[in-house]
Amino acid sequence: MFGRRVHHLISEIPTGSICTLLEIPQGKIFRIVEIKGGPGLHRRLLSLGFHRGDRVTLDREAIMQGPVLVRNLTADTKVALGRGIAQKILVEPIGDNEG
Amino acid sequence: MKDNFPVIVFIGQPNCGKSTLFNSIAGYKAQTSNFPGTTVTHAHSEVMWKGQVYSIVDLPGTYSLTPSEPQEKVALTHIFKEKPDLIVNVIDASLLGRSLELTLELLELEYPMIVVLNMMDLAEKKGMSIRVEELEKKLGVPVVKTIAIHGLGTKELLDSVEKALISRKAPIAPRYAKEVEKRIQKLIEALPEDFPIIANKRFTAIKAIEAETMAADRFILESHKPLKSMIDSLRQEISDWREAPAYEVISAERHHLALKIFEECCQVRHARVNWVEELDNLIMHPIFGYFFLLLIFAGMFYLIFKIGSPLETWLLKPFESLRLSLQSHHNLLAELLNGLIQGIGGGIAIVFPYFIPLLLLMGFLEDLGYLARAGFLLDTFMHRIGLHGKSVPMFILGLGCNVPAIMATRILESKRDRIVTALLIPFVPCAARTTIILALVAFLLGPWWALGFYFFNLLLIAFLALVLKKFFKYSSPGLILEIPSLKLPSLKNIWQKTYFNLKEFVRFAWPILIGGSVILSFLSYIKFDRVFNTFLSPLVSGLLGLPSNLGVTLIFGFLRKELSLLMMFQALGVGYQQLLSVITRTQLLTFVAFVSFFIPCLSTLAIIWKELGRRIAFLSVALNLSVAILVSWLIRLLFSIL
Repeated sequence: MFGRRVHHLISEIPTGSICTLLEIPQGKIFRIVEIKGGPGLHRRLLSLGFHRGDRVTLDREAIMQGPVLVRNLTADTKVALGRGIAQKILVEPIGDNEG
Repeated sequence: MKDNFPVIVFIGQPNCGKSTLFNSIAGYKAQTSNFPGTTVTHAHSEVMWKGQVYSIVDLPGTYSLTPSEPQEKVALTHIFKEKPDLIVNVIDASLLGRSLELTLELLELEYPMIVVLNMMDLAEKKGMSIRVEELEKKLGVPVVKTIAIHGLGTKELLDSVEKALISRKAPIAPRYAKEVEKRIQKLIEALPEDFPIIANKRFTAIKAIEAETMAADRFILESHKPLKSMIDSLRQEISDWREAPAYEVISAERHHLALKIFEECCQVRHARVNWVEELDNLIMHPIFGYFFLLLIFAGMFYLIFKIGSPLETWLLKPFESLRLSLQSHHNLLAELLNGLIQGIGGGIAIVFPYFIPLLLLMGFLEDLGYLARAGFLLDTFMHRIGLHGKSVPMFILGLGCNVPAIMATRILESKRDRIVTALLIPFVPCAARTTIILALVAFLLGPWWALGFYFFNLLLIAFLALVLKKFFKYSSPGLILEIPSLKLPSLKNIWQKTYFNLKEFVRFAWPILIGGSVILSFLSYIKFDRVFNTFLSPLVSGLLGLPSNLGVTLIFGFLRKELSLLMMFQALGVGYQQLLSVITRTQLLTFVAFVSFFIPCLSTLAIIWKELGRRIAFLSVALNLSVAILVSWLIRLLFSIL
């Protein structure tokens, strides 16, 4: 929804802007604002403990467009998500002091 | 099979240590029944505690009671179909906040229940201190602390089970926000008399609202048309309140309630970043991670070979000398004895040096939590061949034995992924085939040849996956895989698992192995094996250029792959060390390739048939046979040119 990914500008995202889980810098804390995608996917993420308002960080990206490793700080879990799925989770940045 | 013992169901989220707890309790067993082929579905055990027998069912892990994965559906039909006397909800205490979401859902059933806080040691390491009395009050059910891996707390749990079964006190379902409650009440009142009630009206109503867009929803509303518009409008109202689908709103309600309970009952001091985290960072690293992956598996096979190979020579020695002393006699008794010795020798000396270490190491990696990490690392490659990382543990499991690997495909969400994975698994060299490869190729030709064979096998699987991708269109939803925390495995647990697999193996394989060997020596004594050999000779010697005596070994290879190896000595009439004096290197490789691939062994075929139906089973045979013929013919061709 924000056009092409621009790697180098990632860390410049101003507070309050919404982007997908794929577009955020590693290690920074974000908050889930919406989970898009069909009900099937939505339900699976809900049952794994991914809800709106949860704090998440992008821990790692596998090489060659592989999956990403997402840490959900609210549920205290780590989940590997394929890129197509990570793209459907919209997040917004939150201040460091909140984390 | 249902007797009058109280039925206790163990339920919990994946990786909560539920099965470990089940096993440590099943130690007090009166008797166990294992339904062959259904251990993935559920294990069932009768446990004796203080003179009372309990029937305990261990269900597969489930994240929620609104099933989205196949193995979760299994869990649910079980608690919905026959009402258990008691639910034991096992929780990974170190993930208390999230785990309580399932607990709240279970409370809605209003069945008598106990909550088990397992892995208390991990929670403490994380700096969590949980106030159990507070949690009991909030949930309205007894809470027991355990560390199943060390067997701690199991006695307290059984005492608590005893008490709960006497009082039969049912908990009260949690209440949600007014806006949601109002609609639930409305639906409860509107449920018609003949509506199929699960557990109680409230639970049924909540699940009916949550079932939006699910198959069950369409099915129920087909038969209760007037209800449909009402449920739809209730969903709409709930949905309007929070601007999200009704099922998400209800799930979020549980989520918030769970977090609230968690915050009220648990204090978290800041945990130090410990060395486990550091280690995890290293093994998941985008570059070093693959290095470690390679190292771990190379090391594993090196270790097995290092242990197995000398052990094999040492164990074979007495059998070999016995066999040699019999060689001069040529009567029926000597022949039969010879067969018997070969059979027993094969069972002990060829299978065990490789099978036990492999099972132990696989169990170690599994309990460590490494298999999920391997799935993460390899997902990107799997994607390219039309599968995803969730299949990785199955392929790795297949290295031990194909049968549990094929059963484990149940956790794959899409039928397509299941079929493709199950068709590929028979090409994964299981312990039996590893035995053949190590015993024939590595032992006689050298370890590099064996390694080369493995590498070729890997390429073959990737190539076949690409071919299958052409026929089974790839539309995978992508990977969603929880990465459990790294845990130091308990040796007792690994040993238990290994022992269980070993017992199954010995019970199934040894009679066939020893009996088969004796029968074959008898057939060879009355020269009956020639009929088989003549029949198969166009394939065996015509196409593959092997001695036609080997024809009969293939029949036994269908029973168990390593039987082919054993029968090979029998059929060629030589011992292990002299094998290369009667066949060439090319013939050896052709034979190993053909035996490895020509057909899934009997038990693998049976499990494919059972899990995926006759068509897929036949397809698997056809695929294996054509690949085996092609590959071994190509090997013959290649080496005759070189």
